[in-house]
Amino acid sequence: MNRRWTTLALAAAFALVAASAGCRKTQPAGGPGKPRVALVMKSLANEFFKTMEDGARAHQQANAGEYELIANGIKDETDVARQIALVEQMMAQQVDAIVIAPANSEALVPVCKRAADAGIVVVNIDNKFDDGALKEKGVSIPFVGPDNRKGARLAGAHLAKKLAAGDEVVIVEGAPNTFNGIQRKLGFEDAMKAAGAKVVSSQTGEWMTEPASKVVSGMITQHRKIKAVLCANDNMALGAVAALKSAGRIDDVLVIGYDNISAVRALMKEGRILCTIDQHADQIAVYGIQYALEILRTKAAPTDKETPVDLITADDVK
Amino acid sequence: MTPRAGDNEPSAVGPAGRRPGGTAIGRAGPAVRRRRYGAVQEYLGMLAVLAGLIAVFSYLSPRFFTPLTFQMIAGQVPGAVIIAVGMTYVLIIAGIDLSVGSVLALSSGVLGVCIVKLSLPVPVAVLACLGVGPVCGLLNGFVSNRWRLPSFIVTLGMLQIARGATQLVTDSKTQYIGAPIEPIAAATVVGIPVPFLIAFAIVIAAQVVLSTTVFGRYMRAVGTNEEAVRLSGINPRPIKLAVFAICGLLTSVAAVLHTSRLSSADPNTGSGFELDAIAAVVIGGTSLMGGRGSVVRSFFGVLIIAVLGAGLVVVDVGDPTKKVITGGVIVAAVILDYYRRRLKRGRA
Repeated sequence: MNRRWTTLALAAAFALVAASAGCRKTQPAGGPGKPRVALVMKSLANEFFKTMEDGARAHQQANAGEYELIANGIKDETDVARQIALVEQMMAQQVDAIVIAPANSEALVPVCKRAADAGIVVVNIDNKFDDGALKEKGVSIPFVGPDNRKGARLAGAHLAKKLAAGDEVVIVEGAPNTFNGIQRKLGFEDAMKAAGAKVVSSQTGEWMTEPASKVVSGMITQHRKIKAVLCANDNMALGAVAALKSAGRIDDVLVIGYDNISAVRALMKEGRILCTIDQHADQIAVYGIQYALEILRTKAAPTDKETPVDLITADDVK
Repeated sequence: MTPRAGDNEPSAVGPAGRRPGGTAIGRAGPAVRRRRYGAVQEYLGMLAVLAGLIAVFSYLSPRFFTPLTFQMIAGQVPGAVIIAVGMTYVLIIAGIDLSVGSVLALSSGVLGVCIVKLSLPVPVAVLACLGVGPVCGLLNGFVSNRWRLPSFIVTLGMLQIARGATQLVTDSKTQYIGAPIEPIAAATVVGIPVPFLIAFAIVIAAQVVLSTTVFGRYMRAVGTNEEAVRLSGINPRPIKLAVFAICGLLTSVAAVLHTSRLSSADPNTGSGFELDAIAAVVIGGTSLMGGRGSVVRSFFGVLIIAVLGAGLVVVDVGDPTKKVITGGVIVAAVILDYYRRRLKRGRA
């Protein structure tokens, strides 16, 4: 009896695995001649990348006759080894193009060079490959994506209108050593310098709500006079708001975010967050895919393309 | 489960001469005296570490030693304390639960979705949230019992399952709840935040259960030698099942407080909480090998990690330095505990 149940459970598990494998197989088995584009994403746990992937899938469905899409992501934003393995798998599947949002701007260069050498069109989206690493490998991979530093400068400049010269502010950075995180921090610093505000502390909130709330709690304990908290993404802005609220400082400290996730819109309406930046996540992957298809069609020499960044304030979310 | 005379003494199955730290039920006079004396010494080491940390940070930053800092820490620890209580129980039965961080996120996600997307009343949503943890815990317990699998691997699976389920439930989107959920974390009784009181009550209740009830004694016995427990006619499986369910329930309770404090449910929340909880519990002297542990000491373990975290932010050292110091203090605290136990054993 016992053994039978075990066998049954095992059989069910195998059936599940087989079924899911079967589902996956139906995708590349479409019409011949259609280019196959692999989208290699960062964390699908992050709303930003989820939106990006959803946008790509919607685009593919609307243009099903033009190309096939194989979308894959890694489980968190720093799982570099897994992402390298994904690129290798896509090469083994002989896709025509790889559109990649690299988890690390240097570590993914060698594998992408191999893909490019194998005749696959590689387009870099979201997080730009390091120029030095590209040069060192002697490969040119076009970047299609937003200028994060410009976006952060935009949000910072909007905040600066509410600040006076000499005001103290703090920055909540993204995870250490991420290109986007560094660019956003630089953009915030540019804007604060231009406004004459003083950045008294800048620490990482690891892109997440809870760590950011802890960091901001500590910062407001140490620096009582701060006027604003500049967060490198919206989840961390939510954490900053929670920390300010429990310290009773929510009314006299301004918070800005980045990414325009849905949760932040409610807070902007309530006046708890001043502004955020929309990088049009749903379009970033689409731009990358369109560009990859264009290169496949025209064999044009690849160049970088900048996608729009827009300031979103309470006025935009009525 | 009714107490039966004498047939379930932990000492009957435990290695001779090793009393479960601070939890033994003394009956004879000298034992009571020794335990009282022990109780002071029990917590002294950890209080010393705590006081040392506070002294160092106060020296490094003039802004650290203020009511505001302690109010902030009191606001931050309840979730971690409650999870550490569950983890203490699990470690005592020689298990481990790696899924607490993900289960916290799933509970929080369910709470968020119930309120934001399904527009359910808050009490209903909270009940749904409180149901998530026990279900996950029962699954952990059942699978590890039924197929005799180590809880390490079962809960490692649950870590992934619950995280994936969270992303499915929330559609990978942070759910902003706002005003409806905020009163829980904001409430105070005579100036003390309610979440802190809840956490404190749970610590006391759990310690009482652990040191004075038959269930507590069974837990230590299962952790010391499961086979011996079985051979003496007690089925260890319901005990293990119950402990994993309790750990799950406590994780969900923590999720309610956590969500209320942050006003939102972030699907990525809680990653790495399992390691923080295990670190806190082990700093508190609970053995990873099972059979020995104390909830109150785990509470101090959480406080040590929380003070350390808050202090490092206030002092504002760089992120790499923060990690090095945190790791160093954790190991140092456990080494200190080793000497405390050796001293104690030497005297006994």
